[in-house]
Amino acid sequence: MILPRFDVLVPESLEEALEMLGEHADKGVRILAGGTDLLVDLRRPIIPVHVPRCDGCAKHPGGMVYSTIDCELWLSEPTAHAGGSLRNALQDSRRISPQYLISLHLLRELKGIKRLDNGSLYIGATTTIREIAHSEKVRRCWTALAEGADNLGSPLVRNRGTLGGNIANARPAADMFVPTIGLNGILKLQSLGGERLLPARDFASGPGLTVIEPLEILTAVIYPAPLSYSGSSYYKLANRKALEISTVGVSVSLTLEAPDGPITDVRVALGAVGPTPILAESAKGILLGETPDEPLFKKAAQAIRKDARPIDDHRGSAWYRSNMVQLLSERLLKIAYIRAKRNK
Amino acid sequence: MKKYSILNSRVPRVDAVDKVTGKALYTDDIKMPGILIGAILHSPLAHARILNIDTSLAERLPGVKAVVTHREAGTTPYGVSPARYDETIFCHDKVRYVGDEIAAVAAIDLDTALEAVSLIKVDFEELPVVLDGRRAMEEGRPLLHDIYKNNICAEVHWHFGDIEQGKKESYIVRTDHLTSKMQDAAFLEPQSVIAEVDSHGNLTMWSSTQAPHYIQRTLAMALNIPLHKVRVIKPAVGGGFGPKASCSTAELATCLLAIKTGKPVKLTFDREQVFLHSRARHQFFHTMTTGVKKDGTLAFLDHQCILDGGAYASFGIATIYYAGSLLGGPYRLKNMKYDGYRVVTNKPACGAQRGHGAVIARALFEVQLDRIAEELGTDPIELRLKNVMEAGETTCNELFVSSFGMREALEAVRDSAAWKKKRSLSGKTRGQGRGIGAACGFFVSGAGYPIYRSRTYHCTVVTKVDDVGGGVTVSSGAADIGQGSDTVLAMITAEELGLPLDDVKVISGDSNLSVDLGAYSSRTTLMTGAACRDAARDVKRQILEAIAGVLCVPPETLDLKDGKVESLSGELDFSKIREEYLREHKGFIDLPNELCLTFREASRIAFLERGSIVGVGMYRPPPLGGSFKGATVGTSPAFGCSAQVAEVSVDLGTGEITVENITGAHDCGFAINRTQVEGQMQGSMMMGMGEALMEQIIYDKKGRIVNANLAEYKIPTAMDMPHLEAIIVESNEPHGPYGAKEVGEGAIMPVIPSILNAVYDATGVRIEELPLTPERLVAAMEEAKKKPSLQENP
Amino acid sequence: MKKLISLNVNGIAHELAVEPRRTLLELLREDLGLTGTKKGCGIGDCGACTVLVDGVATFSCLTLAIQVNGCSVETVEGLTKDGKLSRLQQAFVDHGAIQCGYCTPGMLMTTTELLRRNQHPKEQEIRKAISGNLCRCTGYQKIVEAIQEVARSENEEI
Repeated sequence: MILPRFDVLVPESLEEALEMLGEHADKGVRILAGGTDLLVDLRRPIIPVHVPRCDGCAKHPGGMVYSTIDCELWLSEPTAHAGGSLRNALQDSRRISPQYLISLHLLRELKGIKRLDNGSLYIGATTTIREIAHSEKVRRCWTALAEGADNLGSPLVRNRGTLGGNIANARPAADMFVPTIGLNGILKLQSLGGERLLPARDFASGPGLTVIEPLEILTAVIYPAPLSYSGSSYYKLANRKALEISTVGVSVSLTLEAPDGPITDVRVALGAVGPTPILAESAKGILLGETPDEPLFKKAAQAIRKDARPIDDHRGSAWYRSNMVQLLSERLLKIAYIRAKRNK
Repeated sequence: MKKYSILNSRVPRVDAVDKVTGKALYTDDIKMPGILIGAILHSPLAHARILNIDTSLAERLPGVKAVVTHREAGTTPYGVSPARYDETIFCHDKVRYVGDEIAAVAAIDLDTALEAVSLIKVDFEELPVVLDGRRAMEEGRPLLHDIYKNNICAEVHWHFGDIEQGKKESYIVRTDHLTSKMQDAAFLEPQSVIAEVDSHGNLTMWSSTQAPHYIQRTLAMALNIPLHKVRVIKPAVGGGFGPKASCSTAELATCLLAIKTGKPVKLTFDREQVFLHSRARHQFFHTMTTGVKKDGTLAFLDHQCILDGGAYASFGIATIYYAGSLLGGPYRLKNMKYDGYRVVTNKPACGAQRGHGAVIARALFEVQLDRIAEELGTDPIELRLKNVMEAGETTCNELFVSSFGMREALEAVRDSAAWKKKRSLSGKTRGQGRGIGAACGFFVSGAGYPIYRSRTYHCTVVTKVDDVGGGVTVSSGAADIGQGSDTVLAMITAEELGLPLDDVKVISGDSNLSVDLGAYSSRTTLMTGAACRDAARDVKRQILEAIAGVLCVPPETLDLKDGKVESLSGELDFSKIREEYLREHKGFIDLPNELCLTFREASRIAFLERGSIVGVGMYRPPPLGGSFKGATVGTSPAFGCSAQVAEVSVDLGTGEITVENITGAHDCGFAINRTQVEGQMQGSMMMGMGEALMEQIIYDKKGRIVNANLAEYKIPTAMDMPHLEAIIVESNEPHGPYGAKEVGEGAIMPVIPSILNAVYDATGVRIEELPLTPERLVAAMEEAKKKPSLQENP
Repeated sequence: MKKLISLNVNGIAHELAVEPRRTLLELLREDLGLTGTKKGCGIGDCGACTVLVDGVATFSCLTLAIQVNGCSVETVEGLTKDGKLSRLQQAFVDHGAIQCGYCTPGMLMTTTELLRRNQHPKEQEIRKAISGNLCRCTGYQKIVEAIQEVARSENEEI
C-alpha cells in the first residue's frame, strides 16, 4: 500500500480544527480520526481502470486511469464532476485524493464517555470502539451499542477505529451506526457558526454519503437515557466470527410500561440491507401499545422484513438478507424484551 | 521402535528464537545500498489485444532508471510443465486476465516507480471474455491461446480395471456433484524479490520462493542466461503452500530490471498483487458415480472433472492428473475411470496449493462414502474400515503403498472423538443443529519425478565438519518456508553424529549449495532427509576411520554419541590425541578434560589426518508407477494417509456454522519432530476448514477480483478455530529416513469432507457448492423443506 | 513537506522528520531499521504489523507516524530484556507456536498487551484478543497453548 501525497494538519483545539477546515475546504480535505477506513480508501490502486475511448467527448480520450475512486462510478455520474455547489465539490473531494487531512487525535474534548445530568450518554466522536466495548456504563444501559462495538472488525480495528469515524463513513453495514440509529442517537455537528443536533437516522444520504455540511465536524453522539423497562440488542450476521463486514446487522431497542407490557417504544434499525442503515418504521405500528408475545414479534418481524431494501452483492443475496432481517428481528425483539423486563 | 536421542522429540525449531525476536530476515527486510524499487503495470482488462505500448512518458520521469516491456524481455515462452510453456515475461500480443503483467519499472523509490507505471500508455482492443470454466470448452467460445483448442490445456482419460464389471457387481450406485471456487493460499508474507548482477555477470536473486532450483532454471531459460550464472537464494519465507513454487513475473521482471540498471532492484507485492498473481487452488467441478456391493465393498468409481485454471497452465497439468490419480487410495478400488479437463479462462492462473489437485475430489468421494453408508444402513467409519488398504498393496493405478497406517488412523480418531457414542446419538438427532462427520485422505510423500524430464537427483546434501573441529555445517538447497525442514535436517545430523543441536549449522535454500527440487509435493523430509542422513553417515565414517587409524583400533568398534567417541571394545587410550589437541590450543580456557574422547578433539584430529571432512548424501527415487500416459503424476516413494472427525453446531435459522472440535490422525511414518508434525496437521485443519466454510475468490462480470484482500477473502481467525486434536500415527515407512514420510499436505485431505459430513448430520441437507456459507446452507434447508420427498433421511 | 516528530521506540528517544503520509510501519522498518515488524496486507486486515503505542496494540500500517508524535512505541525487538527472551517469547519457542514466523511479531505484541491487562485470560479471551492477527500456518492451536502457559503462571512478568 502506498498513500498519495497529502499534508496532515494537527489542530490542538476543536476551534482550530474548524478553522483549518474552512481554510482548506476548497482544496480537498478529509477528517482523520482512527484512519481505519480513510487510509484504506485513500491508498493508491494497483490496477488502473480502463476507460474506453469515448468518441466526441474531449474529457474521455480513453486510456488507463489510476484513481483512489472507482472511476467507473465517477464517469457514470457526470454531474458529480461538472462543477456545481460547494457541497457537490466536497462530496466529490471525498472520493478523490485530498490535499489535507485534519487529524483529530490531539483533541481531548472529542474523547471519552460520560453520563450527562439528564441521564443520557455522551460519547465523544474520537472515542475508540474499544473504549465503548469495555465500558460497563454502555453495556448496562445501551447494550446494543456495546454489542456493536464488541463485534466490529477485530480487536486491532477496535483499538484504532472511532465511533465518529464509523458513523461519518456512513457505510450501510457500519456496526456502530446501526445501533446508534436503533438507540435513537443524536449527532452533534459542530461548525464555527455553532452546533446543531441531528438524529442519527437522518444523517446518511447514500453509501458513504452524509448530510454533514462541508464546514462541520461530527464531535459527539448523545444517546438518550433509557426509560425504565428498556432493553436493546444488536446482532451482526457474518461468515466468520471476527474481522468481518456484516452481511446483515439488526439492532432492536424496546421499552415496556411494566415488566409484562405493553410496549411503549420500539426502534429497529437494519444494517447492510439498503444504501444506508434503515430505521424500520413498520415495527412501531405493529408493536406499540401491544403486549409482547411470540406471535406479536413474529408478525412484527414479517413487517420489518418489508422495510429492508437489500441488493445482491458478494457478501450475500437480497433473498438471504431479507430472510435474515426477519429471523434476526424476531430473535432480537425477544432478547430486547427479556432485557427490558429486567431493567427497572 | 529404535531409541533415538533427538529424533522423535519436541525440540524447538532451529529458527524459533530468530523469529520471536524479529531477527529473522525475510526478503523485504533485506537492505542494500543504492537499491532501486520495482513496480509492475498490470492489465486492467481480462481479455484484450495489445495494440500499442508507449513507455516514453514513463522513461522521462525523473528518478526512473529502467522501463521494460516484452521488447526488452523477449518472448521466450516459459511455464511450469515443459509441455505447456504458455507464459512470457510480459504480455506482448494479448492480456489474458485482470492483473496480467504488461511492463515493469525500476526507480529510485516506490512512489516514482508507481508514478512511472501510471504514465505507461497502452492501447487495447477489448476481446470477449471467458469466465465460466464449465462453458470454456464449448464450441464458439473465445479462445485464450492459439495452442489450446477449445480452451482445453490438458485432458486425461484413464480407465483402470473394468468399470462395467464394477457396475454389474454393484448393489448401490449413486452419482453426486461437488463444485468449489478458486481459492488463495493466503500466506502472510507477500512475495518479495531482490535481484542483483555482479561484475562477472552473475545474477543473484533473493526471493520468497518454495523452489530455488526450479526458479533458477526458469530465470536462466526465460532470460537466456547460462544456468551457472544464476543463483537463487531463499531468505526466511512467510509461508508458501504451493503458489510460491512457480516462477513469477515479479521474479523475472526484477532480474531483468537489475540486468538493465546494473543496480540491485527490489520488488515486493502488495496484498492485492498476491491475489492477482494467484497460482493457488483451481476451481473444480467434480461428478462422481460410485458403486458398492451389498457388503459395502467398493466396486467402481467413474469420475469426471473440469478444472478451471485461469489464464495460464502453471502447475495445472499436474493438478488435473492429481485430481484423478489420488483417488486410487486409501481404499481398495479395483475399477476406476477418470475423465479430466483442465481449461483456461480469463482469470488469474491457478497452480498448486496444499493437497495439490486432490482436495475437492477427495471431499466429494468421502461425501459419497457417507451417503452410501447411509443407504446401506452402515456406520460410515465401519464402511471405510471395510475398504481401507494395507501396507504392501498397490492401487488400481499402480501406486504401491509400502507403509500404511490408515486403519490405525481411522480407529484413533473414532475412539478419541468418542465417535460411537456421539454418532449413535446423532442418528436420532439428525438435522437438529449438531453433527459429527468423518473422512479419510491419501497423499504422496514427494513426487516420484521432477517437473522437467530428467534423471536428476532430487536433492543433494553436503555436510562439512568444521576444519577447526567441534561442529558441522549442513548445506542444502532445500527450502524451509516455515514448515521446518531446516530443523528436520539439523535433527537428523545431530542424531547421526551424536551432537547437540546447537553444534549443527544448517544453511539452505540457496541454489549454489546443491540441487534440491524444493518445498512441494510434501517431499523434503523423506527425500532431503534421506540425503541428509547419508551425508551425516558419510562424515561419521570418515571421522571414525581417521580416529581408528590414530588409535590403531578397527573403525567399527567406534561410535559417535553424546558429543564423544564411544568405544564398543573396552577403554580407549586416546592420550596422544588429547596431548596434541591441548598443544594446539595453548591459552584456550575451555579445553576438554573429560575421561573420554570428545567430538571436538576427534573431529579436529580427523582434519589433521585427512584434511577437510566432507560428507555427501543424495536422493532420487527408483523408477515408479505404471506405463500408461500420465502415470508419473501421483507416484511417490511413499504415501501418507489420514483420518479426521469433525463436530459442528449449526444455527438452523441463520445457517451459521461453528466447528466445535476437530480430531485428526495422520500417518507420517515416523515423526522426526513431534511438535512440527502436529503443527502441519493443525495448519492443514485450519486451511481445510477455511476452504470448506468461507474461502472463495469472487469475480465480477469483467473478471476483476472483488475481494482481493484479507478482509473479504476470509480465512479462519482464532475465534473460528476450535480446539484441534492431532494424533500422530507412525507406520515406519521403509523408503523414508528412520521410517518418516509426509505430513505437510496429506493432513488437509479429510478436513473438508469431515466438515461436510458433520454439517449434513447437523442439518439433514447436502451442499454441492463450496464454500459452505451460511447463505448456501439456509438455501439448501429451505429447498429441503419445500421438497420433503427428496430429503435423504425424512 | 516533512514534519518533525519525536517518539520513543523500545525505550530509545527518536526525533525524525517524516512525510505526513508516512505510516508508523514505514517509519519503523525503513527509517529505524526495525524490520521485525512485518507488513502482511498494509490495510489493517492481518495484524502482522502490530506494535504497542502507549501500551495499546495498534496496527502500524494504518497509523500515520504523525499521529504517534510524542508516544511510546514497543516493537518485537523490544520484548527481549538483557538478551533474555520474555516468558511469552520463550513459550512461543517451546510450544511450537511458530512456523513461518511472519505473524509472530504481531501476535506477540497483541498478546503482550492482553497479558498486561489480564494476567489470566481464559481460552476464549485469548482467542478473541488475537482474532485480528491472522496466522495461516498453525491453526492457532499452539499459539493459544503457548499463551495459556504464560497465563497460568502467577509470575507477573510477561
